[in-house]
Amino acid sequence: MLDAFSRAATAADASGSFIGGGQLAALKTFVAEGNKRLDAVKAISTSASCIVTDSVAGMICENPGLTSPGGNCYSNRRMAACLRDGEIVLRYVAYALLAGDGSVLQDRCLNGLKETYAALGVPTGSVARAVAIMKACAVAHINGTNGDRGPQATNNTINLGTTAKGDCSALASEAASYFDAVSTSIS
Amino acid sequence: MKSTITTVIAAADNAARFPSASDLESVRGSLERAAARMEAAEKLASNYDAVAQEAVDAVYKVNPQGNLGRQPRVCDTEGKDKCKRDFVHYLRLINYALVTGGTGPLDELAINGAKEVYAALSIDAATYVYGLNTLRNRGCAPRDMSAQALAEYNAALDYVANSLG
Repeated sequence: MLDAFSRAATAADASGSFIGGGQLAALKTFVAEGNKRLDAVKAISTSASCIVTDSVAGMICENPGLTSPGGNCYSNRRMAACLRDGEIVLRYVAYALLAGDGSVLQDRCLNGLKETYAALGVPTGSVARAVAIMKACAVAHINGTNGDRGPQATNNTINLGTTAKGDCSALASEAASYFDAVSTSIS
Repeated sequence: MKSTITTVIAAADNAARFPSASDLESVRGSLERAAARMEAAEKLASNYDAVAQEAVDAVYKVNPQGNLGRQPRVCDTEGKDKCKRDFVHYLRLINYALVTGGTGPLDELAINGAKEVYAALSIDAATYVYGLNTLRNRGCAPRDMSAQALAEYNAALDYVANSLG
């Protein structure tokens, strides 16, 4: 497992060079933006259950056959397995986002996942759809654009007033790239 | 390769939980100290040649044949080159350790097996310990780097010296 720092060390070690100049500048940016990264991980982690449930529910709404007899989410046992898998994927994406490197997601989650799903008869197209919804959800949480929670919950939205909003677009697209890696590896 | 962040993630993964508030706090703590570590890494990257030369000179000053061990080398010039190469190697790994914020690079690429190798080659590890200790006592803040950066750099040197000794 690597993170942004150990990836720089591994790369430098391959050529036997010191880490300096440009590479250090990139890491300094990582450090300077560190709090945003932690906020992004927190945003995903604290809303994990919501993100996962929404994405699996969305996947089923678009394809109700999944929960009908003969569907792959038919029976609570299989639906529970589906939710569990969604949470596992999101958890590894959160790890990757915290590390600033996709290796933990690749090594511990995606490696062999396609073959496992093929052996178990899981429809990867549906999984990819659920992951895509998770991506949209997670990006909205990271950017703080998930504000509209309906009339019942307006008290929960943070009123920033005149405070300028931070720019989390870089982190949002980094997170999106990890979700894309999930889709690519299973389809 | 181990670093603060990967250690935190490995622990969270073992418990199958999302990164908790205390996980994020320990990452934040590491990031807060990162600036000083990177300053030290940067200074080391731009001056490692002179630093390694200083260590070699110190070693050869106490023993003109270089190796403090039981089989002193007679080939003076070649021995000096190899001695410097080894110190550069240690400094490079210290540079990595300063960047990653953990001792992972040093453990994985230098310390594991070092004693066995030096024993097989009849090189006394005290040679390196002496050189590293010289560097340890040579650094000066704020001449070389800021006090906090020097503390991180010295800690890395100490770690290597203690592991070899």
